[in-house]
Amino acid sequence: MSRAQTLIDYVAEHHPRSVRGIDEARAVDPAAWDAIAETFLGWAEGVWGPDGWQARCVEAFVVFSSDVIMAQARYEADGHYENSSFAECNAAVYSQREVMDDYLWGVFITNFCWSHHMELSLFFRDRFLARLPGAPAIVEIAPGHGGWGVWALSNRPDARLQGFDISPSSIAIASSIAKAAGVGDRAVYTLRNALDLATMPTASADAVICSFLIEHLEDPGLLVANIANLLKPGAKAYLAGAITAAQVDHIYEFRHESELVALCEAHGLRVCETMSVHPRRILPRARFLPRSMGLILEKRG
Amino acid sequence: MSTLEKLNQVMCEVFEDDDLVVTRTTSARDVAAWDSVMHVTLMISVERAFGLRFKSGNVAGLKNVGELADLIDRLKAGA
Repeated sequence: MSRAQTLIDYVAEHHPRSVRGIDEARAVDPAAWDAIAETFLGWAEGVWGPDGWQARCVEAFVVFSSDVIMAQARYEADGHYENSSFAECNAAVYSQREVMDDYLWGVFITNFCWSHHMELSLFFRDRFLARLPGAPAIVEIAPGHGGWGVWALSNRPDARLQGFDISPSSIAIASSIAKAAGVGDRAVYTLRNALDLATMPTASADAVICSFLIEHLEDPGLLVANIANLLKPGAKAYLAGAITAAQVDHIYEFRHESELVALCEAHGLRVCETMSVHPRRILPRARFLPRSMGLILEKRG
Repeated sequence: MSTLEKLNQVMCEVFEDDDLVVTRTTSARDVAAWDSVMHVTLMISVERAFGLRFKSGNVAGLKNVGELADLIDRLKAGA
């Protein structure tokens, strides 16, 4: 039996409320879903073993998804995100190793088990990875679980990657996934604040990946400035962000897609392509539509 | 009114089904509309009806109405 089918069966047996969402994600593109799920779950199996990955991944995913929907419900009631500072999020999430480990494995599974994240995964694969130059030096800012960068390395055997994250959990998990994927020798992860990257060599990256960090920051402009500083002229970046989509550690509330576009353009980046997606189902009578947006950016020459 | 009876009322409202009758063993397998989004909608309605606030992580694993009723009773008792 495939790992993807094993995951579906495990969810159906233990978490029937989550079956519908996974069916929706698979319906985006069944053949692609099967392939991506098999790839990602193969890495998880490499980390947790043939009998350990199912419970580890699915339980984390179910709790993470529930927490996200609950945060969205509280956002609907309050009209603003629960936290507004990095210090609050650091105390509640980032500095809590066990919380962070579960969080990252939960997010890892959303890449193909949330329908709108599945759509972004296809956008990343088909529209960003396909545009990378030969032998690219990739910088991944805040890799989290590391899946995006590892996927890039798996697709491009000539690529190398440096990843920087503020969380020790991220460094450990991303390194373990890279090793499980057989690309560990081309990925180096370093514990470092993504906002301190201004000291990195200017115009040194052929590509930058920064997936779902920007809404976690008090000053998103600083991140975009760092991305622009790192990229060589003409080089591409993949940036993803959340729009009116709550999470306990989302603090910068983007209301419209145009805000992300304007921010990137203001820092010397050309917006080549965008995709804005949202869940198939949202809370009844919701006033906010939670969206995820992917942008493919190019450093102006 | 018992916790289970009050919970039944809340679930009738959330799932818009006046004929819904739940027992301790009722689960998502018995209520077609009870998916992950409606589960959170139910939890928010339960919070309002019972004057509670659930903490992160303690509602995702609830298997059936009985486990939810027990959680409500524990929180009301201050446990």
